[in-house]
Amino acid sequence: MRFMVIRKADEETEAGVLPGPELFDAMMRYNEELVKAGVLVAGEGLMSSDRGAIVRFSGAGGPTIIDGPFTEAKELVAGFSMFQVDSLAEAIEWVRKWPVEDGHGNAEIEIRQVHEEADFGDVSEENRKYVRNVRDLIDGK
Amino acid sequence: MRFMVMVKSDANTESGGPPNEADLTAMGRYNEELVKAGVLLAGEGLHPSAKGARVKFTDGKATVIDGPFTEAKELVAGFWLIEVKSKAEAIEWVKRVPCTDGVETDIEIRQVFEADDFGEVYTDELRDRDEQLRATAAKRD
Repeated sequence: MRFMVIRKADEETEAGVLPGPELFDAMMRYNEELVKAGVLVAGEGLMSSDRGAIVRFSGAGGPTIIDGPFTEAKELVAGFSMFQVDSLAEAIEWVRKWPVEDGHGNAEIEIRQVHEEADFGDVSEENRKYVRNVRDLIDGK
Repeated sequence: MRFMVMVKSDANTESGGPPNEADLTAMGRYNEELVKAGVLLAGEGLHPSAKGARVKFTDGKATVIDGPFTEAKELVAGFWLIEVKSKAEAIEWVKRVPCTDGVETDIEIRQVFEADDFGEVYTDELRDRDEQLRATAAKRD
């Protein structure tokens, strides 16, 4: 099963503070360990929310565009990794090893299970080709 | 440039019921359009936060908190990773997401870091290691 591992934002990530050499080194070593164990399948870092936008749908009329930054730093996403593991417990064990250099030892990481095609339930033959994982769609499966 | 496009949660996505076939199909058609335009790099849907956990570090010490998490509007329900030429182009794509149920839905657009954004601290050696990791991880994906 897959888990999305979300590094929540904090004041520094939202202020656009870039990682220093120690954090880059620690993060690289951690990611190398994850890849060696066959756990890490993807990962990206996000720029501060002032470079972003929200598109809000509310039914009436067209969507509204709200430019960043967004204020709830602790609830924003600063980066993510995708883990392939056998259980939530295994994902948690890996996250416990998260580099202490990140967030000066005060990082908050959220772990969320990813949907697989089997979770979508019964779908009519007609619509079957539309209801599938994006990774299969991209691979042309 | 790459953007991460996140659909924020609501009571519906957090309730754990499977999405209905009409919504799944509409989303599948939209995804197909993104693939045809060469825009879509990845995308996943997430289970409700009840199936997740948070690992919160305090001065290097990890505490595990089980889901669900309460602030539904700040949670992520799913995401796309897209490659486009500008934030404006990302917004144009997001305005076309099939959100037709009349429930207020926020979709957050955030720019993804590229190696060049990190400046001199991101050495050639780190770039090489990162590229190797990505190549190995992609084979497993």
